[in-house]
Amino acid sequence: MIGVFLDESADDVREWAEGISFPVLVDREHLLADLYAVSNVPTVIWIDADGSVARPNSAEVGTDLFKDFSGITPDKHMQQVRDWVRNGALPDDAAGEVDDLSDAEIEARLAFRLATHSRREGNSDRAAHWFSTAAELAPLDFTIRRAAMPLQGVDPFGEEFFELFGEWREAGSPYHGLARS
Amino acid sequence: MPRLKVLTVDAVSEIDAEFREGRAFTSAAGVSEALGWDLKTEGLCRGDVCVPIRDEAAVLDGDRVDLGGVADLLGMASLLDEEASALAVSAPSADRRAALKDRVAPDFELPDVDGNLHSLEEFKDRKRLLIAFASW
Repeated sequence: MIGVFLDESADDVREWAEGISFPVLVDREHLLADLYAVSNVPTVIWIDADGSVARPNSAEVGTDLFKDFSGITPDKHMQQVRDWVRNGALPDDAAGEVDDLSDAEIEARLAFRLATHSRREGNSDRAAHWFSTAAELAPLDFTIRRAAMPLQGVDPFGEEFFELFGEWREAGSPYHGLARS
Repeated sequence: MPRLKVLTVDAVSEIDAEFREGRAFTSAAGVSEALGWDLKTEGLCRGDVCVPIRDEAAVLDGDRVDLGGVADLLGMASLLDEEASALAVSAPSADRRAALKDRVAPDFELPDVDGNLHSLEEFKDRKRLLIAFASW
């Protein structure tokens, strides 16, 4: 297992990494949101020993923490992982294809990069401009909308997040990955 | 000569550049420094790979090189912030297509919380579960 946190700094990630034996990496430039078209977290990708993608992006959780909120439980996925590791068995949805990023989603990621750059340079006005641009380009992408919240002093578990979640649900819960079974 | 920060998915480099009509121009050396590709007679080269420049006007203006044009040629999107003197450049779209269409997992290198770099390749020949997460 390799954990990759799409967070601004190691400080944001450190407490989550406590007691974890596998590598926990800090992806502050959201490389995975580009390279693997990750549009929300958690996203799990199965990679085989030969470097092929055995099962692409899917929204799975590791604990029961968000079960009540999202309806996803870890048990089924953990059993599927066990079957794959032990027997090489793949679930039916493993062959599913993930849609590529649209031009707007790619541009949103670039705008987000410019936003975090300005923010790190202490230019919050310029950062706000780019966060806003990114949000307009990819309004239903959580790596753009929700990731920006703590970087702008907004609680990512608060009111603005619930509004975003509502918008997202109303739009049909778009996600770059396998549909939840 | 003004300085431009080029922000790729894994690095920041600062090069000499000038802006003309909303585009950033630099020297061949600047392109090498910022993007890791060298301008040669065969085109844009890195290691054994060369991408020919079929439309010179899209990339060259005298001895100045259009960074956005180069990025485009390499399948990378770019976005210029002239005011902040920064150019963000995406990963090559071919790498993402390899992941999504060809199902070949592109390698990457990132630091852990202690700053030690780790890559996907580090664990090759083993099944891996890549988990994207966040504090948000």
